[in-house]
Amino acid sequence: MNTIILIFIIFLGGAILTFLAGMLKGILKEVLFLASVFVPVVLFFTNISIGQTFSFQAAGFAFQWGITPLSYVFALIVAGLGLMAAIYAVSAMRNKDNVSFFYFNYILTIMSMLGILFSRDLISFFIFWEIMTWSSYLMVVYQGKDVQTVGIKYFIFSAVGAYAMLMAIVVIYSLTGSMMIDSLIQSFPGFSFNMQLLIPILLLIGFGVKSALMPLHVWAPGAYSHAPMAYSSVFSGALSKMGIYGMVIVMVSLISHIPGGHWFREVIAWLGGITAVMGTLWAIKQDDAKKLLAYSSIGQLGYIIVGVGIGTPLAMMSGLFLAVMHALFKGTLFMVVGAIERQTGTSNLTEVTGLIRKMPWTFLAALFAIIALAGIPPLGGFISKWMLYESLIGSNHYLLVIVIFFSSTAAFLYCYKFLFGFFLGQEETEWSHVKEAPAMMVVPMLILAVSTFVLGVFPGLILNPINEAMQTLGYANTQGHLWELSIIFNEWGNQIAMQPIVYTIIGIFLFFLTFLTIKGYKETRYVTTKDISSSGEVPKEHENLTFSMNFMQPFFRAVEPLMRRQIDKYYTGFANGMEALFDFTRRIYTGNGQTYAMYVVIFVVLLLLFKNIIFG
Amino acid sequence: MDDKLFEILEFGVYGASILLILIGLYAVLTKRSLIKIVIGMSIIDGGIHLLLITIGYLKGGTAPIFSPGYEEAAGQMVDPVPQALVLTAIVIGFGVTAVALSLIIRLYRHHHTLEIDEIKRLKW
Amino acid sequence: MVGSPVLLIAIPLLAAFVIPLIGMIWKELVRIIPGLVLAYMLILSATLLYYVSQNGIIVETIAGWQPPWGINLVFSPLTGFLATLMSALGFLVWLFSYRFKRNVDFEPAKKYFIFLMLLIAGAIGIVITGDIFNQFVFIEITGISAYALTAFYTGRNSAEASFKYLMMGALASSFLLVAIAILYSQLGTLNMADIASKMHTMNPTYKIIALIFFITGIGIEAEIFPLNGWAPDAYTEAPGPVGAAFAGIVVKAGVYAIIRMIFTLFDIPSAYDFLIVIGLITLIVAETSALRQEKLKRMLAYSSIGQMGLVIVAFGIGTHEGVFAALFLMLNHAVIKPLLFFSGSSLVFNSKEKQIAEMNGLGKRMPLMAAFFSLGAFAIVGLPPFAGFWSKLSVLSAAANEGLLLIIVLILIVSVIEIVYYFRVVNRIFFQEYSREKSAAPHRPRVNALVAMFVLAIAILVIGFYPDAVTGILHNASKDLLNTDEYINNVLQLGQSLTR
Repeated sequence: MNTIILIFIIFLGGAILTFLAGMLKGILKEVLFLASVFVPVVLFFTNISIGQTFSFQAAGFAFQWGITPLSYVFALIVAGLGLMAAIYAVSAMRNKDNVSFFYFNYILTIMSMLGILFSRDLISFFIFWEIMTWSSYLMVVYQGKDVQTVGIKYFIFSAVGAYAMLMAIVVIYSLTGSMMIDSLIQSFPGFSFNMQLLIPILLLIGFGVKSALMPLHVWAPGAYSHAPMAYSSVFSGALSKMGIYGMVIVMVSLISHIPGGHWFREVIAWLGGITAVMGTLWAIKQDDAKKLLAYSSIGQLGYIIVGVGIGTPLAMMSGLFLAVMHALFKGTLFMVVGAIERQTGTSNLTEVTGLIRKMPWTFLAALFAIIALAGIPPLGGFISKWMLYESLIGSNHYLLVIVIFFSSTAAFLYCYKFLFGFFLGQEETEWSHVKEAPAMMVVPMLILAVSTFVLGVFPGLILNPINEAMQTLGYANTQGHLWELSIIFNEWGNQIAMQPIVYTIIGIFLFFLTFLTIKGYKETRYVTTKDISSSGEVPKEHENLTFSMNFMQPFFRAVEPLMRRQIDKYYTGFANGMEALFDFTRRIYTGNGQTYAMYVVIFVVLLLLFKNIIFG
Repeated sequence: MDDKLFEILEFGVYGASILLILIGLYAVLTKRSLIKIVIGMSIIDGGIHLLLITIGYLKGGTAPIFSPGYEEAAGQMVDPVPQALVLTAIVIGFGVTAVALSLIIRLYRHHHTLEIDEIKRLKW
Repeated sequence: MVGSPVLLIAIPLLAAFVIPLIGMIWKELVRIIPGLVLAYMLILSATLLYYVSQNGIIVETIAGWQPPWGINLVFSPLTGFLATLMSALGFLVWLFSYRFKRNVDFEPAKKYFIFLMLLIAGAIGIVITGDIFNQFVFIEITGISAYALTAFYTGRNSAEASFKYLMMGALASSFLLVAIAILYSQLGTLNMADIASKMHTMNPTYKIIALIFFITGIGIEAEIFPLNGWAPDAYTEAPGPVGAAFAGIVVKAGVYAIIRMIFTLFDIPSAYDFLIVIGLITLIVAETSALRQEKLKRMLAYSSIGQMGLVIVAFGIGTHEGVFAALFLMLNHAVIKPLLFFSGSSLVFNSKEKQIAEMNGLGKRMPLMAAFFSLGAFAIVGLPPFAGFWSKLSVLSAAANEGLLLIIVLILIVSVIEIVYYFRVVNRIFFQEYSREKSAAPHRPRVNALVAMFVLAIAILVIGFYPDAVTGILHNASKDLLNTDEYINNVLQLGQSLTR
């Protein structure tokens, strides 16, 4: 049997079996769950080669599944993160209600994401896209919080996006008579100008929703923070990348063929830039770590979209690299929050403090991820951001550089808030009983965290596949001479230029760390937040004096005009207006039989009066 | 009966049937009482039946029955189909009226009124 | 051959009148006989459909009168498909309602099954007859049994709903009769094929007036806006399985009658555009009205009207793809909506007001019913990989092929509204706290009801994962509908008659 179809059969069968096993006691469902994620992923890594395809016919459409170099890069994210988060989920979701339902949707999400990447035709792309949408929707509402607002909002936006995409698909089908992505790309330059505009816009609406692009992002904070954290790491890390994947195809293979379509790229890039700034600003303001990470995801996806939107070789490479890095560190961070929430019962930064001694390994994972997120060398986040800046400057987008730089700097604030708020600072007696999370949760986090480091020092590991992907997209081969692309790479190729410097920095850092630890160990006094010896004020019992309380108030006073207008409010107003309107229009059905009879007569009379116009 | 008179008569019958239909519609659309509405529906039915019969009528026509010795009368027979239709339609109309009246009885038991605009618990 | 198409009408009619007599022998037979009859009809129509797909259409004359004089039945791929669908659904409705609520008593059960048999006989009659007056008679049979079934519960609301339905139905029959009178006076024939072949000779004004009266008369049965005032009430107050039968059987027959008129009988091209417009209006008004409903069945009713609007839009596109999409929609709607009605009526079984708000948290008390309802909701809004997706895709694709982009946009916007109200319910069922007092024990549906729902659920999944299971039949049927000349020739030359 073909391996491609085998992978999907195992996923699907595994999902159903896991769900059924949920009716039994014992760990059968956990075993089945891990097996049905693990086996296909292993099969994917061992038996799938690029270019291998599987075709069949159904419902009059030709289907073709196969992997391309571009989708391989994203499949690495999905498979790797999916596997890690699955291991994490088994431990994190223990003793929850309806775990098998969670497992079911988790497997379906992973399956559908791989399916999207495998799809070489638009129909199976859309089918997997929708499976991904509803399985992630079921995860968002899984915990039963605010389902009628957050859940519905997520689904409405997803549906609008998906339907825009569906419309594009049927229009493409009517124009080309084929559902293949390749044939779309081939025949796109021959379309009329209107279609050349309509199709990418519709597709970008679809992809923009999933990748939380600016006016379409309002679902994201709620959805990311309401899903179980084990799922959110995949949700934010991998699922949002599906939007990026689609966007890459649209930007490179379609939009570059529009005559005079350069401004289109600018618009997308600027939308990405605005998304980055606003996401970051809102992230700083959040007190709930889940919300913080959710907004941070929006901001980070903004960077990626800037890179993809600009579309020069370096920008595209930085965008894809950022996508991989974001999956790694944001996956880790959501897992960290999940671990903390599981151990302490809350994820509020103003309640939980000083966990570093209680959960050292979790702290370590969080530290790596935060460093990568903030873009500090030597972790991967630094290189990708550097490449982004360089590409923006290289293509004369100075204003955009300022925007991105502002956002990137502001991102330090929430990084700091997150790390300091949870782990550092004074310890509250309330959390003295907290223990380290189980090994099954910590190990996946650490693996992901370490891989951010590995990719930071040896970016060639991921840049090679990205390079191949970009070649198939039509970019020149940069294999072996990456240093021509960006000054950050040295002439050994594929490794960052400052490696000796980086090692020195690490050495110094480690030295001081050990030095300070040994020195400080003796002198440290552990106090609670209420123990303020430095100031004259005596705090009251219920006063919240945690670090994250009213974080950066002066800063917010400065940027307040930027944040006053919330798009969310407009959408809500629109939705409420619509509901009121529809509530009014349904009064056509008055309930009086005679009125209905009158409608019939009016209908006939109108038709008879205008019969020549209507049936002429 | 000369042709002129027949034409006038035919026209008159058509007019009468349409008038009946309109009267019935008027009752259905404006009368509040359920009973009157049902009567209106019956009047509409009557008008349509008349219309159908008139369509099938020939001047000086005979009953559409073949009998030995009168084969040449076939040309003079009125069209039997509309009559069959009307018979069927009358039966159906009767059935509908019966159901309607039984429903009215039940509605009256529950609502203690026959005003149609007071019987609108189901709406929107 | 196992029998002729006439049995599809004759047997249920006979059964309807025999049921009370048999009930005197053994009361349980009242419930068993309809099932046997429907099973036989299902087998018969499926066999005939297979035969027809191999050997061409069957034209059956009644009492030896040749078309165009006598009444004839036409069993073609299209009508056969619909007849099979209706028998299958009828069987499932029987299975579900075998011991449904009031049906546990003898008297209500007797009436229920008599009218159910009449309803199905009438609906199948509408579809397979080849004579417009005969069609009128079947419409009336269906109508009267539908009024009676709507009033099956003895409460005040059901009587009200039934009366409204009856009022509209009576108007519909008047308009139909007038239309038939006009056609007969102009063409002198009642046979559909004969009318179709002579239609070009007719005075255009009379033609259009006849068409308008036909559309109005049948449109009331087919739930076209603004003629569908009765529909939400009737669906709401009728028992759950009857609602399913309305959505799956009666409306289908009405829509069939309309499209038969427009595609075969009348040669007025602009009527297709009219179908698109009126279908879109129906779709939009119904779906927006469904958004804020408080009662579950009423919401389902509006959703059902909306789906019919979509079907009419798809027919109005008029191409092969359009007709195919419309038939696919009809099939899916006939599979999905009964599942929603069955599981929905089980979910609100214990509640008096049948409010959606009372369904909070029922997913934990009645997981299977809730799962069926959610499956139906997922399928009807067109999420892949369930059945509804393929039909929605084919509608959109058909519209795109004709360049009707505005229609695509409208359909998709309405789909979003549909998603909102269905998912609100699904959310309530699964993810909100149980709100009813604990004492009310959840209603456990009987095994027969469960089997009926299982069959529908499996059908949804099968069509979703393997649409080719049905597309062949649908393609045949849509070819059949579009090929007017062949229809006329076959009927007038008597095609292959089983009687000779």
